[in-house]
Amino acid sequence: MTADVFLFWFLALITVISGLAVVLMANPIYSALCLAMTMISVAAIFVTLQAYFLAGVQIIVYAGAVMVLFVMVLMLFDLKHELQAFTRGRATGALKIASVGILSGLIVGAVTIGLTIAGRSSDEVISAAAAGGVVDTTRGLSEALFLKNIFGFEALGVLLLVIAVGTVALSRSKGGTHARD
Amino acid sequence: MPETNMITTIGAEHYLVLSAILFSIGMAGVLLRRNLIVLLMSIELMLNAVNISFVTFSYYSGKVEGQIMVFFVMTIAAAEAAVGLALAVSIFKRFKEVNIRFFEHLKG
Amino acid sequence: MTSMGNTTFEIVINTIKLLAVFLLMVQAVPILVWLERRGSAFIQNRFGPNRVGPLGLVQLLADAVKFLTKEDFAPEKGNRIMFYMAPVFALIPAAVAYAAIPMSVPLKVGDYTFLIQGYEINVGIVFILGISSLAAYTILMAGWGSGSKFSLMGALRASAQIISYELALGLSIVGIILLYGTFNLTEMIHAQQGIYHFSAFGYTVAASWLPNWGIFYQPLGMILFFSATFAESNRLPFDLAEGEAELVAGFHTEYGGFKMLMFFIGEYGHMMIASGLMATFFFGGYSIWNFTPQEVYNWCYGLVGSEQIANVMNVVLHFLSYNIKFAIFLWIFIHVRWTLPRFRYDQLMDLGWKTMLPWALGNTIVTAIVIFVTSYFVIS
Repeated sequence: MTADVFLFWFLALITVISGLAVVLMANPIYSALCLAMTMISVAAIFVTLQAYFLAGVQIIVYAGAVMVLFVMVLMLFDLKHELQAFTRGRATGALKIASVGILSGLIVGAVTIGLTIAGRSSDEVISAAAAGGVVDTTRGLSEALFLKNIFGFEALGVLLLVIAVGTVALSRSKGGTHARD
Repeated sequence: MPETNMITTIGAEHYLVLSAILFSIGMAGVLLRRNLIVLLMSIELMLNAVNISFVTFSYYSGKVEGQIMVFFVMTIAAAEAAVGLALAVSIFKRFKEVNIRFFEHLKG
Repeated sequence: MTSMGNTTFEIVINTIKLLAVFLLMVQAVPILVWLERRGSAFIQNRFGPNRVGPLGLVQLLADAVKFLTKEDFAPEKGNRIMFYMAPVFALIPAAVAYAAIPMSVPLKVGDYTFLIQGYEINVGIVFILGISSLAAYTILMAGWGSGSKFSLMGALRASAQIISYELALGLSIVGIILLYGTFNLTEMIHAQQGIYHFSAFGYTVAASWLPNWGIFYQPLGMILFFSATFAESNRLPFDLAEGEAELVAGFHTEYGGFKMLMFFIGEYGHMMIASGLMATFFFGGYSIWNFTPQEVYNWCYGLVGSEQIANVMNVVLHFLSYNIKFAIFLWIFIHVRWTLPRFRYDQLMDLGWKTMLPWALGNTIVTAIVIFVTSYFVIS
């Protein structure tokens, strides 16, 4: 077993366990911290796929900003008692879990069958990837982002502006910090 | 495909299955949890699962377009989190609770 | 990114190296504490700790013993898991990020080449920024886990401050990234070696008395980066998190003994990362004033006449050079702490969002335009 294989199984284990913990923890703050853990391990998975810059961005954006925001909001709420952390009703719950199971089974089945029908064992794919070569990804990434996909990039900028205005409008109480309502 | 090969040779399908599992966990969270913020977090989980599969395809096909998509997904996720949290804060101010069942009081 | 090595020997050496960098960081903390206390006493015309040992140096050992023998307590209303986890997590981001900073030229022994840094990483800047932004979790965990209002308010303040200043911090170094065209810290240092020279519009400008350091290209970026790192490491004049008059001691109000010490190590760790990055981005990293490593190596070779010894000497000289720069910045951190008063919270936010962010953006845009125009004229 080489280091890469060990790394993959280790990271996959951490990702799945912390992902499960997000859903199963009754306290939302633990959920948020577990989600931060998931984000970091997903970043590590990106590293194993040689997407170094994306891994860094994943840590900065998700773990460093988005999840900190979540944790801050949760700590501000400081919920003393969590009413009804999970959905009501055994039957509907079982139904929902069953549907999730069916969906995941379908996806996993589709992935494995698709790969066998296509007849491409993973070794061939790896050699194809080595031939194609995603060398110097950061430069290639920036070229693809700023030359080919510049419209999408600008559209995202507009989206972020809209979101920023919307968020301020939503969360602003009347009279700023000294609200009287 | 023998059993040992499955474990010692990591291919695209391993990453894709991992992504599928993570996506299903996120979906289960959305369906089962009642706390608005945990719902948002489950959605983030699903988006992350999608990111993993994008990066996997990008790596195994030797093209960077998949990684560009991940950028877009990340931006959307951050925007979604910002709006979702703003909504959660306003719900909390109103009802002192962020349970999803309070959303039915929001009509009108 | 390099892996841990192929042979067992390389893996063992790399593991030892990681441990050594971590220990280096942790061991520098008592010295810094001593320096801070003596320095503050010097600035405020006092004596400081001078009873235990020569110059009060053994005071550190006495402090450590005191910290270790204190009662281990946790607040009753708090969350015990978070309360105990937070100080441990405070160490991780600082230690991991510091290991990515190169400290000297690679050491060549036979067929092996050892980098004098914990590990080399391709996108070093993004990685270090990302890892050090994880410090916000520690603060939030400590503040919330303590179950006290003072701690929670301090934690919210501190993490809001860290998030806000991260923007200015990230933008202030975009100029230097554009200039050198790399995220790799080692390549960045390579670009800063030798004398001051650059080419624009097809002409080459060189000055034999100036080193080719980033500060001469990005002075504004340097000032913005250095100020933002003060805010990132929660030091005065930005230590709103522990405004004694209003919040007791901020997020670590409820901590005592060794747990408190771990937060201390985390804070000093952030100071060290900031100093190391300062040296790397704007002051040539390990490179020596006006000389390239090859010139230094040739000089060493002329002195001792043996390739092996010249190699080692080269590494040691550059390591010293890095550490001198590093120590100067750490001293500036300490000096600023004891000379400047604290900002008010609204002043802090104004400074971050309305002053530093626009200036950093302007710096980025101007740098981008200048780089584009000069290279454009070179091509035509």
